[in-house]
Amino acid sequence: MSLAHRSTAWEVVPLTYERYHVSTKSVPNRAAPIPKFVIIRSDNCINCGKCERACIYGVHKRSEQDPRKMADPINNLCKNCFRCIQDCPQRALAMAPGPDYKSLGRGVWTSLRISTIWGESETGKIPVLGAGYRGRFAGPGFDGMWTDMSEIVRPTRDGIHGREYISTSVDIGRKPQLLEFSADGAMRTDMPPIVELQVPVVMDATRLRSFSDEMLAGFASAARHLNTLLIAPVGVLPEVSDSDLSGLLVPVFPEGTDPRGLMLARGTRMAELTFSPSWKQDLKMFRSQYPFAVVGIRMNADKNVEQRVLEMAKASVDVAHIIFDEEGVEPDNPEGRHAKDSLRAVHKALVAKALRDRITIISGGGIAAAEHVPKTIICGADVVALEKALAIALECRDCVTCSKGSCPVGLHTAPRDWVEGRVTNLVGAWRDQLLEVLGAMGLREVRRLRGEVGRAIFFEDVEREAFADMTGGATDG
Amino acid sequence: MAEGKAVCVKDLPEAIVVPSEHLKFVNRFTVKRAETCISCGMCASLCPYGVHKRIEGHAKILPPDDRKCIGPSCEVNYFFCVANCPTNSLSVGPSETFVSLGDPRWSSEMILATWAQAETGKPLSLDHPGNIGMSGGGFDKLFFKLPEEKSKADPDKICTAIDLNRRDSVAKIRIPVPWYGGGMSFGSVSVHTMVARAKAAKMWGTFTCTGEGGYPEALAPYKDHVITQIATGLFGVREETIQRTPIVEFKYAQGAKPGLGGHLLHDKNTPEVARMREAVPYTSLFSPFPFHSVYSVEDHKKHLDWAHAINPKALLSVKVSTPNDVEMVSVGSYYAGAHIVHLDGGYGGTGAAPEIAKKNIAMPIEYAIPKVHKFLQNEGIRDKITLLASGGLRTAMDIAKAVALGADGAVIGTADLVALSCVRCGNCESGRGCPRGIATTDPVLDKLTNADWGAERISNLYRAWRLQLCDLLNRFDMDDISQLRGRTDLLRHADRPAKEVRK
Repeated sequence: MSLAHRSTAWEVVPLTYERYHVSTKSVPNRAAPIPKFVIIRSDNCINCGKCERACIYGVHKRSEQDPRKMADPINNLCKNCFRCIQDCPQRALAMAPGPDYKSLGRGVWTSLRISTIWGESETGKIPVLGAGYRGRFAGPGFDGMWTDMSEIVRPTRDGIHGREYISTSVDIGRKPQLLEFSADGAMRTDMPPIVELQVPVVMDATRLRSFSDEMLAGFASAARHLNTLLIAPVGVLPEVSDSDLSGLLVPVFPEGTDPRGLMLARGTRMAELTFSPSWKQDLKMFRSQYPFAVVGIRMNADKNVEQRVLEMAKASVDVAHIIFDEEGVEPDNPEGRHAKDSLRAVHKALVAKALRDRITIISGGGIAAAEHVPKTIICGADVVALEKALAIALECRDCVTCSKGSCPVGLHTAPRDWVEGRVTNLVGAWRDQLLEVLGAMGLREVRRLRGEVGRAIFFEDVEREAFADMTGGATDG
Repeated sequence: MAEGKAVCVKDLPEAIVVPSEHLKFVNRFTVKRAETCISCGMCASLCPYGVHKRIEGHAKILPPDDRKCIGPSCEVNYFFCVANCPTNSLSVGPSETFVSLGDPRWSSEMILATWAQAETGKPLSLDHPGNIGMSGGGFDKLFFKLPEEKSKADPDKICTAIDLNRRDSVAKIRIPVPWYGGGMSFGSVSVHTMVARAKAAKMWGTFTCTGEGGYPEALAPYKDHVITQIATGLFGVREETIQRTPIVEFKYAQGAKPGLGGHLLHDKNTPEVARMREAVPYTSLFSPFPFHSVYSVEDHKKHLDWAHAINPKALLSVKVSTPNDVEMVSVGSYYAGAHIVHLDGGYGGTGAAPEIAKKNIAMPIEYAIPKVHKFLQNEGIRDKITLLASGGLRTAMDIAKAVALGADGAVIGTADLVALSCVRCGNCESGRGCPRGIATTDPVLDKLTNADWGAERISNLYRAWRLQLCDLLNRFDMDDISQLRGRTDLLRHADRPAKEVRK
């Protein structure tokens, strides 16, 4: 978005105004699709061809080699409508849930979420389907949370079809609480470094189980036209000569890096240090070398995370990058809180000490679906880091055993353009869905969503309100 | 009241068996016959259900008709085919087709039970597995504390009617069953589907709704039973369609896509649909959101006044979704002059909606009903307005639970479609639309449904539901559905054992 300045008092120059927009195009899958349902044709089929006429999706076709016979059903076209099964005069057809689909995914990374990400990365579009919600009523973590909407008493915003503009830009860094000016009107406040993103989503490759140079290069180019950041371990970030691009790359320095010997590429705007007991000294030394870079400290969430973030805010760390595990739970702790609760505690602690805008919170881990972005932000994060979703966008099947060469979808042979397109599509589709949520709530910018727990509905609360007076209903305990 | 009761049970349609051959494809169990079968016919001579059949003169026995099989529990019988097969060629197990049907909200049992009710008009027993879904929350966790059955219910003595107008103004409208049909637009469903629903509404003295896609002329003969919806797109909204209706419904929001406008994707916007909506054919239509003329309760009142000026006789219904402040919206609607507040919960049906909106935006209806009910009570206006609930009410028991939570009645959508043979495959949104001819405007596919057949099936479902509600009310010694309203003390939540909260 940019505003051209008027050159003189009387000459009218048209304002140029450019809305941020993620342009997406179809980036087809490389691997064979995994059908959700399979049609089983038994031996008593008489090849009458009624199924071919019944199916409007083209699952059933006659065999090309021998037109007297029906070919095997093309299962990935099947949409589970049962018409062929009902019309078969021989009752020779049966349907079963696809075995590969059924075994896909685990935890919050359900087969449905994984295949949804594949679809979003292929098309860049918001998934729209008929029929109402089909899943579980509620669930742990973000599944026990609904976002609010506006009607009658508050206007909504119609952002998604471009009829109103909803801003999704966020600033990473400390924000001064007030500006000081000298008597002659010059600003006396030292402005801390700030990185403005157009989407509240960054890419974080640090914890990906495996990646190739092509993948990282693809992520980096996607970061460029999405206007966001790519976070990755310092050794593996792609070498770039272009300082525009290096501004989008955020090196992560592992614990124990000596901050005195640390080198940033020209143009780097942000770097992350890994939390260690000596983080205060590390920060000081880093700042003395690179005063104009935003510094983040990366740490695993645990039960003291709110205390630690408070200390960091007081020590003027720019960014606290809080890490959860793949399920969105505090890592290494069987009784760990979900990000939903952890982030709310962090946000509340910062607000209580009037320090909320003194630090930016990036939250990563367990972000498996578009709705997790607004929900994470509502709970108190400023920015959401995509990790595993990046690999899933490239058709990763989350089969864990990814030593090079055995990947069923050949992740390491993915060309950079393809990677770039897939990730752009994913972020584009998720941003559009963020706009849907913001629009429904009547918000015109994502910054206003942060910490807005009052505009969300939490399972425990509504369950208690609605059913507390009922036998067996939720109680305060 | 006695007079009211007479109205309640007068001239309700009887059930006519409306079988549907094509809905008999689902088998609970599969019977497999291995290659080793020698076609001796032993199984055919044993099975009393007719699963196995051998035709004299045929070399091979027919493939098993597993729809008739009662499953592995048959093993206790002396005639169990698997045990008696001399070559051990038979096996019986659960059917995967059955597993492929349905989802946690509409389980396969529920779909089959709804089909059976639509076919026969016979109610389910109160403990039938088809009464409840498997979503693990909300209605699926709420159960009635049923007393022992004392006597059989006499449906003629039990009133299930509700008043739609509790204000002093305009016409009193009473419907003999505590529900009417929700809006489904022309375009999202075929005109046959709309006519089937309207016919059933006429048979039952209740209503159906046009949805936002305009008022097809085919519905005009049923105009006394068709609600005209005014939605944000204002598609096909005309003076005459507002004037001919007994109820005008303002759709502020829809549960499946709260805060978003209606969606009709390009493929389904056929020339006929486009003509009705005064739009360009084969373009995607996304209704604006919200009504840009309504940003406050005062604006809302102007809106209702406008409809009242065009049709002073009509009741005004306000369809809203379930945000955090849904109770404020409801009270505002009452003071703006609405007769009916229709809450559409988050898990409601739709012809097309973004997946993110269905689960995540706005609360499920189970939470909104008690919230609004209590708030209206505290305002002292509960008995001046009719509170209807929709959005995830699938069965008669869901309706009863909604009433026990505080609603007066319900609005029904998806269940009507399931009665018309919907399998809930969820492909209504794009392409030629519904492969079963319900939610389509494709000129070939829409021939798959027939309005007369459909009306009878919906009517049968309504009859079965009413009888089941009578059964339930009788258990509680009630003779009027209004006595059930707000009786959360009759419900139990299955999450925690009862003794924990008893003092």
